[in-house]
Amino acid sequence: METMLTVDGLGKSFKDKKIVSNISFEVKKGEIMALLGPNGAGKSTTIRNIMGIMYPDEGTIAFRNCSTKEIPRDKIGYLPEERGLYKNVKVMDILLYLAELKDYPLDRAKERALEYLKKFGLEGKDKVSVEELSKGMGQKVQFIASILHEPELLILDEPFSGLDPVSQELFKEEIRSLAKKGTAILLSSHQMNLVEEMADRLFLIHRGTKVISGTLSDVKKEYANFKCTINGSNSRSLLENLPEIERVEQNGETAVLYLSKHVHPAVWLKTLPAELDIQELSIDRISLHEIFIDIATDKNLLKEVGELHA
Amino acid sequence: MRNTMKVAKWEIKRNMKSKSFIIGLFLTPIIFLAFFLLPDLFSSDDEEATTTVFVNDQLGIYGQLEAAATNTEWQMEQTDITEQEATAALEGEEDAAYVFIDKQAVETGKVAVYTHEDTSSAFMDEVQILSGPLQMLQIEQLGLTPEEAAVVAQGVVFEDASEETEEGGLFSENMLEHMIPGIFAAVVMLSIVFTGMAIFQSASQEKKDKIAEIILSSLTPADLMQGKIIGYFVLGIIQVVVYIVIALPVLIWKIDFPVIEYLFVPELLVLLLISVLGYLLYAALFVGIGATMADISTAGNFQGMVMMLPFSPFLFIGPVINDPSGFWAQLGSYIPFTSPGVLILRLSLLEEWPWMEIMIAIGILAVSVWIFMKLAGKIFKIGILMYGKNATPGEIWKWIRA
Repeated sequence: METMLTVDGLGKSFKDKKIVSNISFEVKKGEIMALLGPNGAGKSTTIRNIMGIMYPDEGTIAFRNCSTKEIPRDKIGYLPEERGLYKNVKVMDILLYLAELKDYPLDRAKERALEYLKKFGLEGKDKVSVEELSKGMGQKVQFIASILHEPELLILDEPFSGLDPVSQELFKEEIRSLAKKGTAILLSSHQMNLVEEMADRLFLIHRGTKVISGTLSDVKKEYANFKCTINGSNSRSLLENLPEIERVEQNGETAVLYLSKHVHPAVWLKTLPAELDIQELSIDRISLHEIFIDIATDKNLLKEVGELHA
Repeated sequence: MRNTMKVAKWEIKRNMKSKSFIIGLFLTPIIFLAFFLLPDLFSSDDEEATTTVFVNDQLGIYGQLEAAATNTEWQMEQTDITEQEATAALEGEEDAAYVFIDKQAVETGKVAVYTHEDTSSAFMDEVQILSGPLQMLQIEQLGLTPEEAAVVAQGVVFEDASEETEEGGLFSENMLEHMIPGIFAAVVMLSIVFTGMAIFQSASQEKKDKIAEIILSSLTPADLMQGKIIGYFVLGIIQVVVYIVIALPVLIWKIDFPVIEYLFVPELLVLLLISVLGYLLYAALFVGIGATMADISTAGNFQGMVMMLPFSPFLFIGPVINDPSGFWAQLGSYIPFTSPGVLILRLSLLEEWPWMEIMIAIGILAVSVWIFMKLAGKIFKIGILMYGKNATPGEIWKWIRA
């Protein structure tokens, strides 16, 4: 697969504070690459550097077929995190203006705009003034604007924020279908469940540096260890002395045991001592969501994982 | 440059489709005309209606009287109505006066005049013009020789013997002639600067609506800024055209003066160049300041002060009219923010243009435009993306130095 965007060693500081450092990833044709991280992790800063809205202090950003420093703006679709539309203009006017800025043929843009408005349930709204739209409708129009000119690379910064579940599905479907048609998609989000469902690869950043990256299945295999939740009155020392335990989180009667990486659940269960009080027991994998929360709240789960496999 | 034109086109289109802009477009010239014409309308009774002057002439000098009154707006008629009947007769008239010339009038030097209440109060001053023929009559009766009579009739006049200055009266016809290009240039500059003030709103609105980042994913901040400046320039010119179409015919009809002939002189080009440079300078200010503000309602003192700069030439109006080549006038010509206004005013007043000074002033102005455009570009680039927050002067200074 062709690489559409390569970010290499990106670093950016404001004043003396390093916002992002040493960020490297690429986005390939037809794949959905997710840029993840808690609020303030540096996702939007990374994206703004890619879009040339900020200039990186370190590192390079390269687009396919583009040897020069010039950003091929016509071929990129961009939906910023902080977004809006001119208020006192008609929906079609603004869509056509944004398409014109991308040098996209206007007749085709108009055709596509009507098509998409219909698809997103906004049929007949093309002559309506933007200020009359609801927030959700406005977001749909912004999304349409970012894909109207058939971009080769689509950058979506928090595309799902503020959307109701129905619209979320709609967006998800459209993003998937665009990827299928060959668009390279870079998507930033903090909604892990959505990302888990659609991303091919992910890149998780926290405090401006990479924490995890790789294909979704690799990441899951690598980081999503088993965890065992036990309900029952057990002393902490007993739990901590169980085999293959990396960490214990105890809250009253409930204890969560984080198991080490290569544990075999069935074998491990047999090793449990008889004195263990078990009212309920469940074993499952740590979800991406938990990994994410873990990072965002600065717990040590991943660090341990990292150290273990360092 | 192509992107710049796209932005310019969009700004023009967006405004031309907005009702408030269209209303403003036509309302300003109409209000201007209203102010110009209304006083005229209200005072038309006094100025234009002709007073009918009935003369009861018992001395046979009606011919001379009529000759003396050729420059007035009167309608003169001879009448046989006696002084006693005059008051009654006046009631039937609208704007009339009765003048009684008889022997007694010549002897006492007092002429009885009866006027209608609608007759302008100025009439009593005007009617003094009729004293000439009567005085001649008095002199004749004294038996002087015609030469002596002429000397006496001439009277004594106090005359300004100092060397006549070139300027003449401020609003003499000659003056008006070379003021017209200046007035036109001033109208052009005011129109484009006032329309250009909307740049400031357009830039801060872009922040408020949070669309700047979307726009900037397609073009550079410089494109966007230049597009706005050019777009609003064209809108200003459209305003000028509407002015010309609506107001000029009325003016030409009203002031009865070959305006067009005096308008299209080579000097107009210099004046228009100054106007355009002035616009660019102020536009750079507006666009830069607009980008630092989250909202017009949150404008700080600093922004407010900068917004007032285009009005700074008004400070110089008094001194410049007093002495168009004096120290203050020269100073005003060399300060970038006052120079467009001051130059246009000076050049309208001066008959001989100080070309050297004009060149230097235009040079300073042009360099300032270049510098301020650069600064505005730096401020705009960062400010336009700073959503929901006003920039402090300190921050702005930092962006400029960056």
